[in-house]
Amino acid sequence: MQQTLALIIIAGFLMRIFRQKQKKSISNKEFIFWLIFWLLAGLAILFIKQIDYFVSLFGFGGQGIDALLYLAVIFLFYTVFKLRVHIEKQDKNITKIVREISLKKNG
Amino acid sequence: MAKKIFCIIPAYNEENNIAAVIESVKSFIDEIIIVDDGSFDNTVRIAQKKSTAVIKHLINRGQGAALMTGNIYALENEADVIVHFDADGQFRAKDIPKIIKPILSGEAEAVFGSRFLSKKSNIPAFKRFIIMPLARAVNYIILGIKLSDPQAGFRAINSRIAAELNITNDGAAHCSEIMHKVSEITDKIREVPIVVNYNNFGQGIFSGRGRGSGGLRVLKDLIFQKIIS
Repeated sequence: MQQTLALIIIAGFLMRIFRQKQKKSISNKEFIFWLIFWLLAGLAILFIKQIDYFVSLFGFGGQGIDALLYLAVIFLFYTVFKLRVHIEKQDKNITKIVREISLKKNG
Repeated sequence: MAKKIFCIIPAYNEENNIAAVIESVKSFIDEIIIVDDGSFDNTVRIAQKKSTAVIKHLINRGQGAALMTGNIYALENEADVIVHFDADGQFRAKDIPKIIKPILSGEAEAVFGSRFLSKKSNIPAFKRFIIMPLARAVNYIILGIKLSDPQAGFRAINSRIAAELNITNDGAAHCSEIMHKVSEITDKIREVPIVVNYNNFGQGIFSGRGRGSGGLRVLKDLIFQKIIS
């Protein structure tokens, strides 16, 4: 039941990225990234038992879904970090623009 | 030939102090540059009345960003020595000759004012014994800086250093960044004692004036910069 629900959610996300691609609201790179991401997530759900076995080799006692949760948290951390770097870059660009304008006005 | 000395004063909502600060420094330097960092009070109007050069940031970008803008302007106007000075009145203008002297004599290329080499600064005990030692440790661990004042904002550099110095930290973390980058450019660095008057300003642990200030924000910026650079 849980597996089916997870697969339906993933199918929803897949449809969404295809729609976004059609509307050209995401770039090719982003489309490929999210396509691979959700396909891998779908595969992980389908092969949850194998994942159970695999993660047990590393000492995780819980079910495979727990391992997926850990991965999701790691992924979220990574995403937040990437966003932070992106914001930092934009901040620096804003400063450059503000500086350029201020120096031109006084030049 | 006499060296041209510029004083860069970043200002953010300093209408109560800016006039007095300009008056106090003008006899010690050749040109004053006020970099208004997006103030929404009368800072610009007051500074312009004092017939000083005023560069205006359209929006608040932080003290580090304002200093970098000032450095570029000073270099474009053939500055030989650049002094960084605060607009809130905490520094004493009469310390300017002390801070530029080692540069004028060729003994140093960069001079940092230190509150800790003089016993006259009324640094609050919490800041002196808790915050500053921690800041010093952070500076040393993250950037390898060994100077006595971890947040020295009163400094002088010659034009060679200014031309090579790219301040990328827009906020208050620029203090550590400048010390670090200057030490990579030259080893002719001096520290001189200065006196700082603490009133109801300066930055606390959680907040300060303008963008990117506050002790924790400085720490966060330094660590983040270290990771991504």
